[in-house]
Amino acid sequence: MAQGGAAAAQESAVPFPSLEWFRRLADLMNANRPRQEQLGYVDCVAQFTVLDGGSNGAPWSAQVTFEEFEASDVRAATAADVARADFSLEATLATWREMIESIARGHGRPDLEHTLNYLSHPGTPMRLVSDDPLRRDLYFRYNQSLQEFVNASGSFRTVFPG
Amino acid sequence: MSQPARADEIHSPSGSHQQTEAGVARYETAFRHEYKEWAALLQRNAERLAKGSYSLHWLETDGAAWGRRAKPSSRGLTYTDINHVKGYGDLPEMATWKNFAPRGSVREPYAAEMPTLEDYTVLDRGEVWAENVLTLYEEAKARQWNATRDIPWNELEQLPEDLEKATCQLCTFLTEVEFVAGDFPAKWLYRIPQDFLEVKSFLSTQLMDEARHQEVFRKRAIAGGGLLHSSPGFEWALKAILEAPTHTMGTFLLNLLGEGLVLSIFRSGEMIAKTYVDKEIFRRCLQDEARHVSYGVMELKYYLDHHPNRAQALAEMHRFADVGEQVILTAFTEAALVEPVAILLGGGLAKIDQGMEGMARLWSMFIDEYLQRCERAGFPRRERCAIPVNAPWGAA
Repeated sequence: MAQGGAAAAQESAVPFPSLEWFRRLADLMNANRPRQEQLGYVDCVAQFTVLDGGSNGAPWSAQVTFEEFEASDVRAATAADVARADFSLEATLATWREMIESIARGHGRPDLEHTLNYLSHPGTPMRLVSDDPLRRDLYFRYNQSLQEFVNASGSFRTVFPG
Repeated sequence: MSQPARADEIHSPSGSHQQTEAGVARYETAFRHEYKEWAALLQRNAERLAKGSYSLHWLETDGAAWGRRAKPSSRGLTYTDINHVKGYGDLPEMATWKNFAPRGSVREPYAAEMPTLEDYTVLDRGEVWAENVLTLYEEAKARQWNATRDIPWNELEQLPEDLEKATCQLCTFLTEVEFVAGDFPAKWLYRIPQDFLEVKSFLSTQLMDEARHQEVFRKRAIAGGGLLHSSPGFEWALKAILEAPTHTMGTFLLNLLGEGLVLSIFRSGEMIAKTYVDKEIFRRCLQDEARHVSYGVMELKYYLDHHPNRAQALAEMHRFADVGEQVILTAFTEAALVEPVAILLGGGLAKIDQGMEGMARLWSMFIDEYLQRCERAGFPRRERCAIPVNAPWGAA
């Protein structure tokens, strides 16, 4: 579970959606290698899409590359980059916000109705997208690591637009 | 009436004393009178040692791939790393070594003196290989977890009786089905020769995974109230998997179809979990299951892609799947599975109807995912699938 505490709370808030927000998660993951070694390898490119997170309500996406025990790359993704991702998790800003706020309330653990799998399994309000079932299955193979990746947002303050 | 023996009171091997005695007699006959080679080897060794002479033939490197040292990658020294070394990574299309001699060792000079193990029957690489098996093996080792220690058992909360019973019934189902996913690879593991050691290694991780799943669901049930009902429909589906005529067919039925559906149940289990303990259990298990599904998809693909007569292979697989899908459907329509999941999905016994509606929506998604995996393997089942695309109780 993400370590937070007073020091983290004093850090400046990070806007969501933004590359900075995902890079903060990547930094937290990379700083906690012993935990990643417990969880095991993660080898995939995950795309996180905020369907109305861009300018004028357009989609906004970040791609995070996971290699071995690290999040090795975070980059913005356009529609042309979709094929690079093994899978995408797509949801509205309201859904992402609800999840992030739940994680914050739980100090790094969402309530039972705001885990990635809970939100994505029925296909709504979060959608798992991949055109290859094998690449889609990576989402399941690394689910615990991906959950802990977003759980790390509980260790800093997130601000949302509006 | 005598009491049944407790597991820890059983000291003798299975079977009666007469059976054991007969077995020992057969063993004696075989090794004393039928197999001559080992005795000749022992004699030769005894003479050498008695003479005080040395045999250093094993220092000779002719025929060996000696000196080409494997280099570790960033992950350590993987099978992929050592298979890159010339002489070690060449898997035969058809295994001919039916003994334990390691692939890449100097073994030809000794072939005539070596035993043959007729139990090694899966000699065709197409029956076992998958292009992702090395990756899955390394991943499986890296992502092991411990059902005793990694689940926050002390956070287990008592649920209302209907939800607790539904959870325990689901765990009883999973306890019942999980070990076939161990017994099936176990059944085939010793029939696979050493030349396919990477597959044997991966199947060993699947065995460990399934042991852990059986363990964690048994523990969850007994910690929450107890095991509830086993079910004949589950048993027939498991029997159909275990008695599949070939490794590929059984792997299709177990890993691609059965575990694909169980993966869906795990994902549903995580979604409908009423405690953090259950969330963690299902999330951990679904990761393991997804590895097994991936092996199943790619093993079938390799089989079909390398079969000398693809049309024939497809026809046989379809015939098998026509039966297998129906038998598996028996399990996935059992009251001991459908109804408890519906109660958990709906949020209580009084809301079972809403739960069934929710399950109907998930059903179509499960079957579509199965059909997509079949297509990915090059095995189109969409027009022929014996499992209805829509839930048999009607979509919401």
